[in-house]
Amino acid sequence: MTEFLQALILGLLIGGVYALLASGLTLIFGVMNVINIAHGAFLILAAFITWSLWRAIGLDPLLAIVVLTPLMFTFGWLLYNATIRPIRKAPPAASVLLTFGLALFLEGIMGVIWGNTSHSVRPSYANESFQIGELFLPKAQVYGGLVAIVVLTSLYLVLTRSWLGRAIRASAVNPQGAELVGVNVASVAALTFAIGVASAGAGGAIASVLYPFLPGSHYQWIARLLGIIVLGGMGSLPGAAIGALCLGVAELMTVTYIGPEWATGVPYLFVFIVLLLRPQGILGTRLRQDVATT
Amino acid sequence: MTDAGTTAVAEGTLKGGGAPPSRAPSKALRSPWTAVPAAAILLVAVYPVLSDDLYYQNMIILSMVFAIGAVGLNIITGYAGYISLGQGAFIGLGAYTVGICVTDIGGSPWVWVPVAGLLSGAIAALLGVVAMRARGHAFVILTIAFLFLVQLLATNWDELTNGTGGITLPLPTWSVDYQYWPFYYALMGLLAVSLLASWWIRRNKFGMGLIAIREDEDKAATVGVSTPTYKILAFAASAVFVGMAGGVYGYYIAFIDPLGMFNILLSVQIILSLLLGGRATLWGPVLGAFIIEWLNETSNNEFGGGNTRLLIFGGLLALVVLFLPQGIIPTAHRWIERWRTRGQAGLAGERLAGIDLDGRAAAATPAAPATSAKPLLEVNGLERRFGGVRAVDGASFAVPEGSITALIGPNGSGKTTLFNLIGGTMAAQAGEVRFDGQRIDGKPPWRRAHLGLGRTFQITRLFREMTVLENVVAPLREFHLGLLGANAVSGREAERAEELLDFVGMRKYADVRASALSFGQQKLVELAQILMLDPKLIMLDEPAGGINPMLIERIGEMIRELNARGKTFLIVEHNMPFVLGLCNPVLVLARGQTIASGTPDEIQRDPKVLDAYLGEDFRLEQPVGA
Repeated sequence: MTEFLQALILGLLIGGVYALLASGLTLIFGVMNVINIAHGAFLILAAFITWSLWRAIGLDPLLAIVVLTPLMFTFGWLLYNATIRPIRKAPPAASVLLTFGLALFLEGIMGVIWGNTSHSVRPSYANESFQIGELFLPKAQVYGGLVAIVVLTSLYLVLTRSWLGRAIRASAVNPQGAELVGVNVASVAALTFAIGVASAGAGGAIASVLYPFLPGSHYQWIARLLGIIVLGGMGSLPGAAIGALCLGVAELMTVTYIGPEWATGVPYLFVFIVLLLRPQGILGTRLRQDVATT
Repeated sequence: MTDAGTTAVAEGTLKGGGAPPSRAPSKALRSPWTAVPAAAILLVAVYPVLSDDLYYQNMIILSMVFAIGAVGLNIITGYAGYISLGQGAFIGLGAYTVGICVTDIGGSPWVWVPVAGLLSGAIAALLGVVAMRARGHAFVILTIAFLFLVQLLATNWDELTNGTGGITLPLPTWSVDYQYWPFYYALMGLLAVSLLASWWIRRNKFGMGLIAIREDEDKAATVGVSTPTYKILAFAASAVFVGMAGGVYGYYIAFIDPLGMFNILLSVQIILSLLLGGRATLWGPVLGAFIIEWLNETSNNEFGGGNTRLLIFGGLLALVVLFLPQGIIPTAHRWIERWRTRGQAGLAGERLAGIDLDGRAAAATPAAPATSAKPLLEVNGLERRFGGVRAVDGASFAVPEGSITALIGPNGSGKTTLFNLIGGTMAAQAGEVRFDGQRIDGKPPWRRAHLGLGRTFQITRLFREMTVLENVVAPLREFHLGLLGANAVSGREAERAEELLDFVGMRKYADVRASALSFGQQKLVELAQILMLDPKLIMLDEPAGGINPMLIERIGEMIRELNARGKTFLIVEHNMPFVLGLCNPVLVLARGQTIASGTPDEIQRDPKVLDAYLGEDFRLEQPVGA
């Protein structure tokens, strides 16, 4: 029972971090209909920058979020305008291939800068745990999960309470309609992409403490995040949160009861099962396919 | 393998907007450019005999492995438009099949190569079953998940695969004098066979259906293309030869492990080959594969591979998407075509007048067709809501067999939604639809098309990148494998399509790309397209909308003539003179319900109809069209 409870709590905590990372991916998909395959590479890049800051000036990885969020926001905005904006009208396949190319390119660059060895950020509390009864909860997991929830909540508030947030949601639901009421959908798309990358920045800083990483880790991360948004329903923010918590718990249960070597397979299974049984995911909706819009 | 793969296939796909249409597909075969691929094939064929340089022999062998992969990927990505980032998995599956069978069962690796192909095909078909309901993006995700899943299985299923330790295959038994010849020629044979398969698919109705799926999957379903079956067959076809090539590849490099065999970079190399050479062309994947493998070897030797390889592959992928989205062969083709047709006027603007319906026009006003009392289509209490909007709210009516029935109603009354429900593009939430006595709601659109239901769209939905003729050949009247394999470029199906184009007066345009047609011309082609289904009921969504009066008149004549030949029509239209002069009975839809039906005269006098259209205070001084 303790074992189960421990796995459940740790799963939910890690799920919070996954939720933050997946929120950017699902937001970008919702507004732009772009599957950002480079999302994993962005988060690994953020993890490496966190690592460098920690090594150079001893900056705490969770505090590094304050630096990484604006940094990655700017990076995302520039990257969007330089690469994705020109193919906004191209078939959706183009953006998948483009972001896949960007992911590989970033992987190469990170390999050149930081080398292809495993890195991890180990702040002073990395080896400490909270003990509650028989439960051992590593401090890094607890802090990471809590910080992720704070960042995610502020993202949610931006999306629901600000004009930009309303513009983003309007652009996602009905781009033509948003354009008609004065939303510049192209600029909103650039900002959305930047916000998405910024959330990968914040999430990457947290993830750098929780998992060791190397440039090639981004494949595993993108697979995990894609599994989450497919499960939650592509484009749905609450769906991404639910999917992330499910995946976090399912991974920890797999580690506990089946074996850690199978844990990476959980998101792939999610994808297969969801596409077979409920292709639109938990919270996904089938939109009206209006003949007039084609 | 150069950019001059000017085959009849490529010619058909690429003939662009201003090209003068000529029915001479064989012309391309005689062009001097054909000599270039022929010379290249010859060179590759004799190379190992002429030179004993193993560096280049190795490079060609690897190029051929990736070329086979890219030719296979071309079937689902180039033709059917589904991007797969996991195509490399089939190389690994093939290699593992051969490796495991040789170690556990024994025998020569060559014996197991066909098994590797069959197994890969079967697994791809299973993937197709999962992907059946997944569109575009979900499919991409599925292929990534698939690749990582098989890699995980290969890593963790120690008893079968020996995990990360990998499998070592026996060394070749032949004399060293023959170098890598058996690998070389085996792969060359496989490449030839897969190219032949690709060529054949592009020419038959199956291939036309795949391209139709790429262009507009929902529309394809309404013209009888049973999309799940097409997709499953396409996935299987895309993997069989790749699996076999993987088997040969595994034997060639003699060591099989999860990291090497399921490396995502194999998939990247295959995709890059296809994109660079040109999607949906015959030779594009081959050309791309040779270029990319050369780049790959160069980066490995000059720069030590690793990160440089990632930078080159990643950068090139992004650059190709941004600056060369069509790939080398189609782009080169377009340039040549533009150069050839300088100063020639396009055909699209030509006047339609003067096209004679072979004297049919004179006979086209037959006596009122025999309308039987038997309803061909019955709709009962059909409902469809979008959130709070009740688009169709309990509509009930019948279309008598042999009639030209009109369905009119104010904007937003639910006419197009009703069409979508009857055609099956959209599922009804309540009510039933009977066609020819059979209940069809719940049946997928292609089944309804096979039963004899054809529909056009308000905004025409032709397959834009296909030629007019291909558009008309693509529909599938009934599902059987023989018809899928039927030649679509010449032969019976193509003749039939040309006859139908002749009927609508569009035969001259047979080789023009659909996207180059005017709106009115597109309507005519869309009509010919559904006539290919030989439908009993033809549903037209605003046939007279947005086109010139002459054409409206001609469409009216065609409808009358088809009706005289026994076709029943259900027409949505806003042009009242057109409707009232042509149709009987007329059904009126308002707020998702049928509020009236009767002869044109009755409808014009019906106060409920006037009310629905104009509000209750309005009275017409004189009935429209009277």
